[in-house]
Amino acid sequence: MLCIVYIIAIGSAMILGLILKLPLLPERPMRQSWTTSVIFPTAVLALGFTAMVSKLGYLTSANSDYLIALAIGVLTAIFSKFILERILPRPLQEESPDESQEVSP
Amino acid sequence: MNEVIGIIIAAVISWLNFVLIDTWMGLPEAPGVKGAEVIGRNIKKRGGDLAGGFFQGNIVCSPDASAGTLLASIGCYLIGTPEGGLIAAVLVFFGNRLCADPGYAGTTGALTITILIALTSYIGLTPIMFIAGMMIAILTIQGLYHPASSKLLGKIAQRMGRYTEIE
Repeated sequence: MLCIVYIIAIGSAMILGLILKLPLLPERPMRQSWTTSVIFPTAVLALGFTAMVSKLGYLTSANSDYLIALAIGVLTAIFSKFILERILPRPLQEESPDESQEVSP
Repeated sequence: MNEVIGIIIAAVISWLNFVLIDTWMGLPEAPGVKGAEVIGRNIKKRGGDLAGGFFQGNIVCSPDASAGTLLASIGCYLIGTPEGGLIAAVLVFFGNRLCADPGYAGTTGALTITILIALTSYIGLTPIMFIAGMMIAILTIQGLYHPASSKLLGKIAQRMGRYTEIE
């Protein structure tokens, strides 16, 4: 039961993420990429948010659990697309010395 | 399972989990922030390895797989397996982003140790053994002798093709 709830949450987050035109994977090399993608962090966030809702006692082994999982997935995809970069923006890059010389008179 | 044996096995699993994931994610390649570079160069000055020093500096300066391993173990102990580990993975991701880190190493480390805790529960290992084991694992890297541990980390980085190109 709980396993299906997790699958619905991840699946709905990934499908809506793709509809919202999030890339499936970050660009390579992935370990240095700041791109928000469907696999990372959207699927991971969907897993974590579902675990939070489950442990807070909102999943009661009823059919409504599937709807809750669907809602978590949808909200996670929207969060990843529109909110994540606003609250946790990528760090500003330092200007290289050459660029600063060009700018200064 | 006997508690002492359990802690030793958990320490070995935790050590492999965080060292391999952090190396794979490129921690020895370059310092993520200024502090990590200072630590790396200081360790090199004391006879250590620069790539291993960057690795050690990076895990001090942002929550990487070491923090992910420890926090997921604590999460599983407090909240349950696997929910605690999954919640820890999300919290580590936010912590990473706050530390100007993309968050792959920490999140991956938290998720893999959650899977390992769930699997090893069948042979009698408990999350609390992983908490103690992770403390021992991180002690061997950060707490005993930096030059030796950084050389070992540097060799692992070389084997995995993640050695630093910085001089």
